[in-house]
Amino acid sequence: MILEPLRLGPLTLRNRVLRSSVGGRWDNYDGSGTEVRINWDVKFARAGVGAIISSNSPVHSRGAILPGYALIDSDERIPFWRELGRRVHEHGCPYILQINHAGRERVLPGLTYPKGLSSTDDPEPLNGFPCEAMTVEQIQEVVAMFAAGARRAREAGLDAVEVAGANGMMQTQFLSSAINDREDEYGGSLENRARFGLEVVRAMREAVGPDFCLGYKISIEERLDELLPWHKRGNTVEESIQMCRWLEEAGVDYLHVSAGAGFPHPRNPAGSFPAAEMVKTYDTLLSSGRHTLRNYVTFRTWPLNRGFAWWWQRVGKRLGIEGINLASSRAVKQAVSVPVLCTGGFQTASVISGAIERGDCDGVTIARPFVANPDLVRHFEAGRDRAPRPCTYCNKCLFNFVENPLGCYEEARYDSREEMLAEILSVYEPAAA
Amino acid sequence: MTDSAVFRPLRFRNLEVKNRVFRSSISGRFDNYDGSGTEVRLRWDLKFARGGVGAIISSNTPVHMRGLIVPNYAHLDADDKIPFWRELGKRSREYDCKYLAQIAYSGRQRDIPGITYEKGLSSTDKSEPIHGLPCERATVEQIHEIVGYFAQAARRAREAELDGIEIHGCNGYLITQFLSPAINDREDEYGGSLENRARLAVEIVQAIRREVGEDFHVQFKLTGVDHHDALFPWWGKGTTIEDSIQVGRWLEEAGVDGFHISSGSAFPHPRNPAGGFPIADTIRSYDTMLSSGKNTFRNYLMFRTPPLNKVFKWAWERSAKRDGIEGINLAEARRFKEAVTVPVICAGGFQTHSVIARAIDDGSVDGVSIGRPLIANPDLVNMFAAGHDRAPRPCTYCNKCLINFIENPLGCYEESRFDSRAEMVREILSVYEPDPVVATPA
Repeated sequence: MILEPLRLGPLTLRNRVLRSSVGGRWDNYDGSGTEVRINWDVKFARAGVGAIISSNSPVHSRGAILPGYALIDSDERIPFWRELGRRVHEHGCPYILQINHAGRERVLPGLTYPKGLSSTDDPEPLNGFPCEAMTVEQIQEVVAMFAAGARRAREAGLDAVEVAGANGMMQTQFLSSAINDREDEYGGSLENRARFGLEVVRAMREAVGPDFCLGYKISIEERLDELLPWHKRGNTVEESIQMCRWLEEAGVDYLHVSAGAGFPHPRNPAGSFPAAEMVKTYDTLLSSGRHTLRNYVTFRTWPLNRGFAWWWQRVGKRLGIEGINLASSRAVKQAVSVPVLCTGGFQTASVISGAIERGDCDGVTIARPFVANPDLVRHFEAGRDRAPRPCTYCNKCLFNFVENPLGCYEEARYDSREEMLAEILSVYEPAAA
Repeated sequence: MTDSAVFRPLRFRNLEVKNRVFRSSISGRFDNYDGSGTEVRLRWDLKFARGGVGAIISSNTPVHMRGLIVPNYAHLDADDKIPFWRELGKRSREYDCKYLAQIAYSGRQRDIPGITYEKGLSSTDKSEPIHGLPCERATVEQIHEIVGYFAQAARRAREAELDGIEIHGCNGYLITQFLSPAINDREDEYGGSLENRARLAVEIVQAIRREVGEDFHVQFKLTGVDHHDALFPWWGKGTTIEDSIQVGRWLEEAGVDGFHISSGSAFPHPRNPAGGFPIADTIRSYDTMLSSGKNTFRNYLMFRTPPLNKVFKWAWERSAKRDGIEGINLAEARRFKEAVTVPVICAGGFQTHSVIARAIDDGSVDGVSIGRPLIANPDLVNMFAAGHDRAPRPCTYCNKCLINFIENPLGCYEESRFDSRAEMVREILSVYEPDPVVATPA
């Protein structure tokens, strides 16, 4: 099942294993793309993934999670994405542009906008990133930015566009009952909270026409309380499923299931909390939010860091990491008729094919295990159930990317530290012409 | 105005520069993490070539991955880096601007060590004292390897058809760590007497000369005086001007074609770059360095906490207040120049045409190098040529450029110099634009 084609509306993928959105600060500070990003994505295209979902590409510089990601905020960006698409297509791999607006979820705000925009004035709860509530006019502007971003993706010759509506990004900040505290038509009832996300989808559909693949990533289990026990829990699964139905009506071609109304979240990426790596890179965030110094001291202080790691890891231990979102995905599939992709630690062929055969999902998206083994599909093709050196879910990749090149930082997976470094730095080869 | 000393060509043994203004080494994290160069660096440097400087001294260019200060500076550590530098030199010469690669090795003074080498190499195994950046004492064998890295980097600069090299021998980086009696605590042939402490510098020059021959420009950037005690009077004084002069004589004998005089046994140092200590910008940017050293968290808390940050600011700024900023190193450069026969240029806050012309005319120096004022006004030399004594919006020596570069693109962050914050941000980000607007004298 894994290696069979998958139809997502007008788009057909060569197999059911997609590279999920996984970033890396490869680009210029101003959001112009570089050859390094192309090298990064081509690595996976060459290794046979079913499709690539780009790293999140902000529709506006105020919506960037941090500087160093290629934007899709103006027509000037189109040639870069066209070139990237062309180079990925050379390997027979479709390219899905994931577009986002981070809202208040901004790890490093950069120079231009000290404050993010959101549904609310309340800062992001884990790090305390500041934001201000949008006016209705600003909301309409952001809706138009998504539509323009989608149009640019199509003009660039890419194959699809996906809304990064999950993981605490702007759409989550509206949809989530734990975050949205508005009293206007964009807050309150589920219908009102869903309005922004649905308006975005309708505007994008209008911009790209009926024959262009449009997807939506959504967190089904929000569970903000799993990380911050004093925090509201967020939407129920039933509420999220209702949103999926509405999204289908609004014209999405597929849904992409994730978890957590913030990022990172113990369910996404589920796994370890590498305190030592965290101390090395989280420092960069200290000026970003009002809780960051508290967090930093927690991460560097024994036994507080042990306590935090235990708290973080208990969720993955309880639910299991590989396929952690399959129950959510099954619930979505039962409610909608469009294809459903599911993310969450997948790296075992039998687990993936079991999920597809049971009807839990139609395909899977993979981030960390692909960072560890970009050629994972080749292993599956050769009949292996897993890569010989699988991803350990250590999450060191995730916590390094802020300061260091994205890559697998699990030394245990390599013969030596030198080999690990050479592998990480290989993304810079060949150098830009 | 063009008959002023500033616009007289400066002749070195192997190099002629069209005027007396060098863009000093100012870096910016514009390149790839692995040390490969990018278009952005090219645009950054060409800004100054277009603005009229006679020569560009490149950003700090590590001769080896372990010798970097922070990641994302272009290296000269392998032959596959040569094409990038060739292109940079070629494009710079299109503006009749000479290009010198500043080849460097950080030693223990590494702001962000990066993923490859956790510890720097130094003359000593004592951590760098301000941030507590860790290091280990280089063995004699490792010292010889480093000498070889410098020689190979110089060869690559020549193969890239650059106009020369500058050996970064000052501001607290590796060569200072050997030269300075306040840092070097070795008991072998590389420590102890001045001759021993100067051995690394002399060997680097000799090795480079063997590699590039006699007809390639080799200049040496040297600290005139360490002022090691500038911040904490109970620290040793370090290298004196008398010692530096003796080192300069030895280096000249070894084949140096020119000197570039700066100040301080560390970087940053209250005398280099002399000027303000921008507390708010420091808090925003210094956080990235917390994992770099054992004193950084202490420092960070101090920078955040009044009145400790005010006290530090006072201690930092008092040298510059006492001695003035523009031309702060002139007296030391003059003494140095009297003792050597090759040309001497000098760094330190220059941005006034008449001040520079006077320094040349009275024999203090043969030319000047400029860092911050050119960040503020890349076309400063064109302004001089057009008759301005100073730029209409001069550099304020606020040092915000310096502290921002760790997290943000290098540029002028002094909002008061711009009509608006938006204009400032646009100017900073213009380095990423493929077709930069030609700067014109205001």
